[in-house]
Amino acid sequence: MRTLQAGYFPATPPEWFYAVMTLHGLGMVGVWFVAGLAAMSFLLTKYVRPSLTVSWIALGMTAVGVLLLVAATLVGKLGVGWYFLYPLPFFSEGTWPDWATAALFIALGVLGVAWTLWSGDVLRAIAGRYRLREALGWHYLSGRSDPEVPPIIIIATVSCIGVLAGLVAAVVILLLIGWEVLGGGAANDALLIKNLTFYFGHMLVNITMYFGVALVYEIMPAYTGRPWKTNTLVVLSWNTVLALVMFAYLHHLYMDFAQPRWLQVLGQLSSYLVSVPAAVVTIFSTLVLTYRSQTRWSLAPTLLYLGVMGWAIGGVAAMIDSTISVNQLFHNTLWVPAHFHTYYLMGVVLMTLGAVYHLAVTLTAEVENLKRSRIMAAHLVVGGYGLMLSFYLAGADSVPRRFAAYPAELTSGPMLAGISLVFILVLFGGLGLYLWDTGRLCARALRA
Amino acid sequence: MTTIPLLLFLLSAAIIATVFAVVARSSGQEGAVDYARVNRLRGVFLLSLLVILGIFLTLTLPRLPYPVEAAVPERIVNVVGRQFAFSLTEGPGPESLENWDRDFVPDVQVPAGVLVEFRVRTLDVNHGFGIYTPEGRVLAQTQAMPGYVNRLRVRFDEPGTYNVMCLEYCGLSHHAMRGVIEVVGEAQP
Repeated sequence: MRTLQAGYFPATPPEWFYAVMTLHGLGMVGVWFVAGLAAMSFLLTKYVRPSLTVSWIALGMTAVGVLLLVAATLVGKLGVGWYFLYPLPFFSEGTWPDWATAALFIALGVLGVAWTLWSGDVLRAIAGRYRLREALGWHYLSGRSDPEVPPIIIIATVSCIGVLAGLVAAVVILLLIGWEVLGGGAANDALLIKNLTFYFGHMLVNITMYFGVALVYEIMPAYTGRPWKTNTLVVLSWNTVLALVMFAYLHHLYMDFAQPRWLQVLGQLSSYLVSVPAAVVTIFSTLVLTYRSQTRWSLAPTLLYLGVMGWAIGGVAAMIDSTISVNQLFHNTLWVPAHFHTYYLMGVVLMTLGAVYHLAVTLTAEVENLKRSRIMAAHLVVGGYGLMLSFYLAGADSVPRRFAAYPAELTSGPMLAGISLVFILVLFGGLGLYLWDTGRLCARALRA
Repeated sequence: MTTIPLLLFLLSAAIIATVFAVVARSSGQEGAVDYARVNRLRGVFLLSLLVILGIFLTLTLPRLPYPVEAAVPERIVNVVGRQFAFSLTEGPGPESLENWDRDFVPDVQVPAGVLVEFRVRTLDVNHGFGIYTPEGRVLAQTQAMPGYVNRLRVRFDEPGTYNVMCLEYCGLSHHAMRGVIEVVGEAQP
């Protein structure tokens, strides 16, 4: 996509750009949600018993959903963007056929059922050992620490409740659109559907972030040699997050002036406040856990630590954009992908890659080549932040996001897209090396 | 205006990266954690964060871009979006896709220094009505949403050609969806 935005291959039809953009958006949201949930479920087996059968069924259904999305985008050229803003899927202007729209909604239905089952099973497993108020750590607030609840249990409970709350909105969207299209109902209220869509989408993306953070809480102490235990602060932090994350999505609708003004102000307030527990508890505690800890910086703790840093940096950019008066200048410019790629690519992706590497190394007990690990990490940092910077600078210069080609007056758009290609190559180099090394370790673990 | 948020972000990112680097470097040494000191530091950090957020809220909430009913716009421009064009007229503009070719006007002229209200709507999907200055920077924007009229008020201080671009993805030719506002008259002090 950045190659086309840089002006290379100008003969490429724009429908390809938008179809790939749609697959990239939906695909990355889905892949890292599933990877995070799978890694967290595995780590939870230390304390509770999620069902392996449910996990396999959910994974199988996810694969079906992904295949449908791949067909809809790459064969049907469906180009609706990752949040398929109603009623765009039904206004293709001849670009994509009806079956591609149908495939999108069937895929979303299949994925919704799969992820409801999976998250529900994690909650069921937790409920097998803890009552809900214990799993949320409420007894710590009254000064009791019996039963002792590991942080990963609290984060998993908060996250899976969040997933289910988000998926309820997805079901309502599918029912409303289904009633309009198949049941002959009246046209839906676009503002209502947009609220529901972003409530669901924002929740899903944030929860994916929390899956990554759960991995950090559980794995990082193994490398720093210091325990990360539940206390009043951790409980307060995650319960506050559960309450506030429900409202933070409102910042996606700042430029819908028809939205009631008090909701817009609530969006800025909750977006600001949801950052407080993350910064004061999780990010601060990561630093405390690491400070003078004699950590051996192998690849797993390095990626987990860098992931927390990416979360912090992306969080600052997100808060800036969640300021209504700033959002009027940044909304739907490249500042938006800049901030969410920072806490996604440089945050949750690094956390998940670190966790997977930790598991691979643990399973094979192989002595890690630290020099190779540092080369990998350096490529990911230089490539990733170089790419991010190209987005930030373009966003601050008013370059719109989601443009297959830039108009002549936006000169910084193609220029920065061209420069970013160098960083993308460096990033891919690091990712390629990681995949080769981790794949090798996994294959060895399977043989053993 | 966009320079300030960018500099603020770059400064914050540099501070965060420096703190993470310093802490990572410290991990080469051994030292017990003084939890009383950590809690004091955490308290200071929390308080600082809340103060900073409070300052930002106080400074920014009075600057909401939404129309203030007390102010009376001196000029009304009706903006109608469709895949993939904006119509800008002082009259009502196209009421339906069938009348588009008859009533569509791609540009509008407004005087500098007067309060203009853009009444933005759409005949098909969501669009983003983004006004760019002659220098190519976003000046203001609002969404065009089916079934709603969003009112955006702008006072143009400088004469010139202000391009309109679509800032909500709307399909195949989204990047080519344009409109033009010609601001005429004297520059305002």
